[in-house]
Amino acid sequence: MQVSWGPQHPASGHLRFILDVDGDSVLNLEPDVGYTHRGIEKLTENRTYLQNIPVVERINSYCDATNTVLGYIEVVEELLECEVPERARFIRVIMAEMNRIASHLYWLCLMSISVGFETMLMWTMNERELFLDLFEMITGARITYSALRPGGVRYDIPHGFEEVATKYLNHFERRLKDYYKMIFENSTFRLRTIGVGSISSSDAIKLGLVGPCLRASGVATDVRKDEPYEVYQNFDFNIPVEKAGDAYARSLIRFHEMEESVSIIRQALRSIPEGPIRKRVPLVVPKGEAYSRVEAARGELGYYLVANGTDKPYRLKVSTPSFRNMAALPYITRNVTIADIPAIYMSLDLIPLDIDR
Amino acid sequence: MEWKRSFGLLTSILSFFASLALIFLNFIGPLLFSLQFYELIIKVAVFPGLMYISIFAILIIWFERKFLARVHLRIGPLHVGPMMGILQPIADFLKLMGKEIIVPDKAHKIVYNLAPIAVVAVSCSSIAFMPFGWVAPGKNWVIYETPYNLLIILILFTLHPLIIIAAGWGSNNKYSFIGAMRAAFQLLAYEVPMVFCIAGVAMMAGSLDLVRIVESQSKIWFGVVEPLGLIVFFISMMAELIRRPFDIPVAEQEIVFGYPTEYSGVQFMCFMMAEYVNLCVASLLLAGLFLGGWLGPAFLPPIIWFIIKSLIVCLFVIMGRATWPRLRMDQLLRVGWSLLIPLAILQIVIVLLLLLIFPTFPMWLGFRG
Repeated sequence: MQVSWGPQHPASGHLRFILDVDGDSVLNLEPDVGYTHRGIEKLTENRTYLQNIPVVERINSYCDATNTVLGYIEVVEELLECEVPERARFIRVIMAEMNRIASHLYWLCLMSISVGFETMLMWTMNERELFLDLFEMITGARITYSALRPGGVRYDIPHGFEEVATKYLNHFERRLKDYYKMIFENSTFRLRTIGVGSISSSDAIKLGLVGPCLRASGVATDVRKDEPYEVYQNFDFNIPVEKAGDAYARSLIRFHEMEESVSIIRQALRSIPEGPIRKRVPLVVPKGEAYSRVEAARGELGYYLVANGTDKPYRLKVSTPSFRNMAALPYITRNVTIADIPAIYMSLDLIPLDIDR
Repeated sequence: MEWKRSFGLLTSILSFFASLALIFLNFIGPLLFSLQFYELIIKVAVFPGLMYISIFAILIIWFERKFLARVHLRIGPLHVGPMMGILQPIADFLKLMGKEIIVPDKAHKIVYNLAPIAVVAVSCSSIAFMPFGWVAPGKNWVIYETPYNLLIILILFTLHPLIIIAAGWGSNNKYSFIGAMRAAFQLLAYEVPMVFCIAGVAMMAGSLDLVRIVESQSKIWFGVVEPLGLIVFFISMMAELIRRPFDIPVAEQEIVFGYPTEYSGVQFMCFMMAEYVNLCVASLLLAGLFLGGWLGPAFLPPIIWFIIKSLIVCLFVIMGRATWPRLRMDQLLRVGWSLLIPLAILQIVIVLLLLLIFPTFPMWLGFRG
């Protein structure tokens, strides 16, 4: 029997899976993407580099706006070869890590509801509010900030931000301990996720996984450590790595990443230098090609830019982490039950907006 | 001759009405003037019949939403009604009443339309056999008095999944059908341990009559004597009621809403109503079998004690939704067959050994008069 799982389904998002099922077990899964395709790569060719910032942000706006824009800013700055003030780089890192936490909280909410756990859905949304409030303090917006610019950032962190942020982070760290007890020590959640959707490390590399999914299979890679961009080399943080490669390991990786992000934000707030936050850069990008990669919340996010010496890009190619992680989905969903499909799907943290662009 | 014919017609009509009046006076008339008739009407329409189960369902839905909201750090329903949104379920019911009944084109029309009526009828009829304690010496508050009440309630519970399967099959929807099949598998997991637990209690009390079983617990509750049976019965009851760790047939994230996916409006309301009436009956059953039923200190009437105990059971059932994710079908079957059934059999063996070694033990604890 063939079941069309989505695009109108409580748990599928804007994604459609064509499932070949035999009773309750799935024989084959075929992802059918494209329901949220907006042609962002083409749209960028008709807009100036500055106008492109909000457009690019929409690739993954409601989870991970800062990291998505950060990659674009990086690739433009690489061609411009401009100096960026140190304070701006610190603000970028603070915003990127805050957004990583907000994105992981959003993922934890989806992951817990995918196994039918409403309590964690509500709790994580509650703590995500804290970080959205902090973003509101900096930029005035809660979801889509468009706060990064080539040559710096648009907004300085306001007075009193550090006290509020420290208070919120202290509260958040206490709540993280509650989360661990509530979901990671929950026997039913462990039953539902341990051994579900396992990927070995060699398979993970062959399938081209990135980010937390790759680290959950025992491969210690992180762009922030391997090729430090911005000021990540200044901070002391660990890359959590798990061996098992199943849904539980992927969940645990993201949970520990939240703890590491809290530590990075604390260090950045402590050591942030004074100075300007933005430098003037030319609107016209010189002719050339450049590639940049950043560690977004879902993994490595790559931008390839071809500039032709005008104020508009000739071609901008985006390699999004969700699209690359989706390659593993048909591979690990053979001969599992239908009940495991949402758990595996959410544990890979696939966002249809991110896949389709 | 004309007047003769009309006279004959008149007499025949008159005699017809006279005979009707005779039948009325002889058979229905005494019924109207007898106390038993009005007692039955009150039992069926008010308590423990239609009105009680409706109010129970509405209040328990409100309590569930409010309780879950507290656990979720939310507020929950707030604005409808005089206090804390207590009329929100009524507003929801009215909304469902006003919705269009949609019958899918390819559905089996008869089965599809009969299933919601059957499911609510089966659930509500099980309350007719539930005794609610003494109202006068030698007089029990029950709609239909029979010594086989426990067996009949169990049979009606077992009918429930069969109607669910019919609803899922009649909808002609893949998700509904998968949900119906899951309900059938779930039946295999919980039914056997549930019956074994009841057998343990019946052996102790020496009867299958719920009234006798409750009376036996005047000195000590069966829940204290048979803790294993209580736990196993509670878990299988959760599975039977399709509550959170075991709500596999309606798993929203997996199969949209399982068997009632295609139903809308009043028909969907029937399924919801049946679910909560089942919760009412099952919690009463657990309170009667293991928690001493209507027995309690004398400052409250027995019926009130019975309802209070059943509400406490309901609270524990609702807690499951706040603290556990959903199990998978194979995990539930494994739990049912490799854990619940051995534990239930162990309970029966313990009871048997006790009865063999100390034959006077039931009399000593007051289980048999």
